[in-house]
Amino acid sequence: MTAAATVSGIGRPRLGKALPSALWALLLLTPAFVSLASVSFYPIINGLYLSLTNTSLITQENEFSGFANYVQLWGDAQFWNAWWHTMWFTAASTILETVIGLGMALILCEAFKGRGLVRAAMLVPWAMPTVVTSKMFGWLFDGQNGIINYILLHAGLIDQKVNWYGSPDTAMTTIIIADVWKTTPFMALLLLTGLQTVPNSLIEAARMDGAKGWITFWYIRLPLLMPTLLIAGLFRALDAFRVFDLVYVLTGGGPADSTETLSTLSYKVLFSTLQFGYGSAVSTAMFVTEGIIALAFCLYLIRQIRRAQ
Amino acid sequence: MTDIKKGPVSGSKPVAHVTIADRRQFLIGSAGLLGAATLGLSTGLGVRRARAQSRAEISFASAAFFGKETFGDLIKAFNESQDRILVKNIELPPPSSSTEVYQGLVQQLARRTGTPDVFSQDVIWIAGFAAAGWALPLDEYFPADKRSAYFSGTLNACTYDGKLTALPWFMDSGMFYYRKDMLEKHGGKVPENWADMATIAAAAQKAGDVDFGYLWQGKQAEVLVCDAVEIITSNNGAILAPDGKSSLINQKAAVDAIQFLHDTVNGTKISPQDVLSWDEEPSRQPFTSGKAMFMRNWSYVYPIAQDAKASQVVDKVGVAPLPAFPGGKSSACLGGYQLGVNANSKQREAAIELLTWLSSTETQHRIALNFGLAPTRPALFQDEKIKTEQPFMASLEKVFTGATARPITPEYAKVTLALQSGISKALVSGNVQAEMDALAAQIDQIVG
Repeated sequence: MTAAATVSGIGRPRLGKALPSALWALLLLTPAFVSLASVSFYPIINGLYLSLTNTSLITQENEFSGFANYVQLWGDAQFWNAWWHTMWFTAASTILETVIGLGMALILCEAFKGRGLVRAAMLVPWAMPTVVTSKMFGWLFDGQNGIINYILLHAGLIDQKVNWYGSPDTAMTTIIIADVWKTTPFMALLLLTGLQTVPNSLIEAARMDGAKGWITFWYIRLPLLMPTLLIAGLFRALDAFRVFDLVYVLTGGGPADSTETLSTLSYKVLFSTLQFGYGSAVSTAMFVTEGIIALAFCLYLIRQIRRAQ
Repeated sequence: MTDIKKGPVSGSKPVAHVTIADRRQFLIGSAGLLGAATLGLSTGLGVRRARAQSRAEISFASAAFFGKETFGDLIKAFNESQDRILVKNIELPPPSSSTEVYQGLVQQLARRTGTPDVFSQDVIWIAGFAAAGWALPLDEYFPADKRSAYFSGTLNACTYDGKLTALPWFMDSGMFYYRKDMLEKHGGKVPENWADMATIAAAAQKAGDVDFGYLWQGKQAEVLVCDAVEIITSNNGAILAPDGKSSLINQKAAVDAIQFLHDTVNGTKISPQDVLSWDEEPSRQPFTSGKAMFMRNWSYVYPIAQDAKASQVVDKVGVAPLPAFPGGKSSACLGGYQLGVNANSKQREAAIELLTWLSSTETQHRIALNFGLAPTRPALFQDEKIKTEQPFMASLEKVFTGATARPITPEYAKVTLALQSGISKALVSGNVQAEMDALAAQIDQIVG
């Protein structure tokens, strides 16, 4: 017993010395790596693998089928329809939210009475669960009893009630409006923190040189805000790309597939028809598209930073 | 009954021996031994169970319905009614989350472990479960003479590939709601064909008595398929050919029917444009607040229409079978949950016994009274107690006689998504023939 204890007692520090410091670091990183891998990498790899099989719970097939799913996807009009809708939704909502959010941030950046209260109140839409927002906008834009129709009708802007969610021309726009209402405050908050990092001395110096508000914004604030703007835009775009709840609650993808997005389509394929193989291919296509969007943003961001230096 | 009795009774005999041995001692010497000897495999099972002094244990899974009691209470009643079988109730999400119920069932059945032994299923899943080999064919337990006690439309939906793979339990179907007071003013007779319906609806709308002539559900969702099945079948058309291997939705009968639905919004204007984004509830609200003349909906609307707190049309609402086209027959889309036995069940006889009990006249009677779910046995609609306690349900026999199943195919989940999208496109654009051609091609690819 004593011998063993002594041996291990001597052994430990020796083992420590024997291990190069880099190895220790790796060893300590292992738990974090394992937990990340199990919840993040494994699902991605497994999803990729599933997309190369014909797995379906209903037919009980589970065989490797190469790129058959992707060939089918390439010729699937429904998929491309959803892809374009998702891209349109992402672009429109991100741009609108960035522009309006920037405006809000500029206002909130100024000192005025009750600013703290306004800043807090502004975040309410963002804090609401999306399903609640969806239901609320469902009622606002209701074709028969909606307040939007009531106002527009009485203001003389429309001559008969519009069925916002029942017509392919207006359904997507209405969903974009709901998303802008909900997420603009989030953008405003991110941009506000960016604006606060712009040194006041620069703005004061510009004022002394006689620069007006617009010039200060365009030549000082905006260039310095650019990295924040791009990162916030990237976050927002990636988030908007996954839009699900609004569509699911408000239209279910209709009418005539005019609001079908990639998330709702993959939900239908995966969980209604239980085609895990093909559904994974749809999800993978989503993943790849998101990757491309992120890459484009990052490349632009890097160029901006380099130019600034 | 002979066929059914033979199965469960001989199967559960070994269990019965030991648990109620005192009362049946005289059997052991003679018939019991003989029975046990011939039973082979199930005897082994019986002895093992007997040693544990317990009953045959099986499980039952169903979407959770509520009423004056729950399905859990129903299972408890079964457990108390006999001492050979002990059923464990597995509660799935409520029927409103039907996608989740479906997933839950598929996951369990796909494991092929025999759990749950008995389950309830939405009519549209039956073909898929049968084709996957998860549902036990029930023909030997329920021969033709027993089946005649059920509505033929329900039996049809429970049959796949010539085999009965589900047993009718309770049902619902689409039906035609009308305003009695308005009808008296504009014609007096419940319209039996669609053209008459449109004329009366337009007249009532024009006279300013109602805002809307006819309400239905055009949202790109499952209910749109139901509305479509009804109107297409009432024109002697069909979505799938009888063999289920090709689509008939671009044939004249179906195209004319869908065209009629499109015209209610754009031609005769008896329906608001809003029906294209409405499912059941949004279409129910204007009707029960007295703004509409006619409506297609399910049976749940009637109790709401009769509730003075929620409705402005108490005692003014009548229900009839949906209209048909000339030469066609009224058709009602069939809904409801039917029973199935897991093909991998290790306690087949016990499962059949539970199944038989659940679908029996007595249990369906109880479900009708306590859950308000309509029986699948026409005879029960003549029952005095149901007639007094659920007078509306008793009047539905005529509606349910026309119950029509949605397309019976194991690929239903894919077919319905294609139908929802294709029919919605046709209704919105008005290019009915072109959209139906495209839809037919798409369905042919799925089922062919």
